[in-house]
Amino acid sequence: MAVLIDHEYPSRLQYKLDRITLDESIIKAKSALLNSIKRSVYLYRIDCGGCNGCEIEIFSTITPVFDAERFGIKNTPSPRHADILIYTGSLTRSMRMPALRAWQGAPDPKLVVSYGACGCTGGIFHDNYCVWGGTDQLFPVDVYVPGCPPTPAQTIYGFAMALGLLEQKLQRSTSAELPGELAPLPFEAIPYKVRTAIERKARVLSGYRSGKDMSNEFMAALESGGEDALISIQALISEASDPRKREVLTELKTELCALTASMEACYEQQ
Amino acid sequence: MFKTIKEVLRTGNATVKYPFAPLERPQDVRGKPEHNHVKCMVCSACAVACPPNAIQTPLDMREGTKTWSINYGRCVFCGRCEEVCPSKAIRLGTEFELAVMTKEDMEELCVYHLQACTQCGSHFAPAKQVAYVARILAQGKDTNTAAQKLEYAKVCPKCKQKYDVQRLMEQSKEEGEWLC
Repeated sequence: MAVLIDHEYPSRLQYKLDRITLDESIIKAKSALLNSIKRSVYLYRIDCGGCNGCEIEIFSTITPVFDAERFGIKNTPSPRHADILIYTGSLTRSMRMPALRAWQGAPDPKLVVSYGACGCTGGIFHDNYCVWGGTDQLFPVDVYVPGCPPTPAQTIYGFAMALGLLEQKLQRSTSAELPGELAPLPFEAIPYKVRTAIERKARVLSGYRSGKDMSNEFMAALESGGEDALISIQALISEASDPRKREVLTELKTELCALTASMEACYEQQ
Repeated sequence: MFKTIKEVLRTGNATVKYPFAPLERPQDVRGKPEHNHVKCMVCSACAVACPPNAIQTPLDMREGTKTWSINYGRCVFCGRCEEVCPSKAIRLGTEFELAVMTKEDMEELCVYHLQACTQCGSHFAPAKQVAYVARILAQGKDTNTAAQKLEYAKVCPKCKQKYDVQRLMEQSKEEGEWLC
């Protein structure tokens, strides 16, 4: 995949460490360990130039609500005790040596987890001058946990997958447009100008997400109502239990009446 | 001792059952962006809005394709794509189980065709987008105008310019005055 924004400085000016490859024996030992892991695992966390959001989420994973320690996962202060190394942050140039030292300090076989959007691909800092773009540029990574930051549930899912408790869900998918496929026109019976005006009004009133939902409901009622559109809209308003929703829908109805009145005036002039 | 046990029983268990039971999540939580590839018309509004360039729409002019692609590993789940999408094709769902073992699994691609100009044959815009715009322009009119609009929309901007200039020249010839 071509990168949208490319670095423009010469690559010879950037010293880059080679990617570490594992020995056959270590790979074998690791797969043997993962197949029949019966003990608790200790993890060590290395921040390689992140914003500390990931750290906060890792620590909220250890809290009683999500309690990672019930799987025997324990945070340790030294890489020499660690089975799992968690790399957060986008791996900046100045953190390469500490990252490497922690990796060399941890005993084999060890698991490397790329944590957060920055750890996985460089995230939002991917085109920064001092960012190497993810942990996998330096180490062989076993599990990628995306998210910015990953929620405690996402983190637990990542650990559960690494330890073989759960299956991987996300798969690479490539699809293609079917011949003659058309994008559906939303609410074809409603004039384009009316539709966009209502959508805009709803967005101004209650934001892009609930505004979109509410304008969709409103226009579905308008379209299905036919001649008695205002009655079906009134029914929708009285059905709504949330007073905020009622308010927005009433505003939309006023907008619609103003629009149709001005359109009728236009037709009369013509 | 009894007091403590009583207190423990009263407060109950605070720990969630996940991963042994599904996790309850609020409806409007910002999870995985779900792309509806039928509704999508690859206008690239999401790719322009995406802060970390997780969504990209590379063009292949030789093949005549535009690929909509997302890398969940780079996504920051901000919802800007959902905000700007004109055809409501993308929406942040509640799915959060996104961890993978291989990096390639975080990518999702969808290939769309470009419209070839009916006059010069060069590709200029996604076919779905052209059809969508033509249908909106012809909305509420009779079917004849819709077909005409679609035919006119399938001409690339360069050919349209050429056609406009030709028509203007003919018009001015008829009127007997030259534009310079």
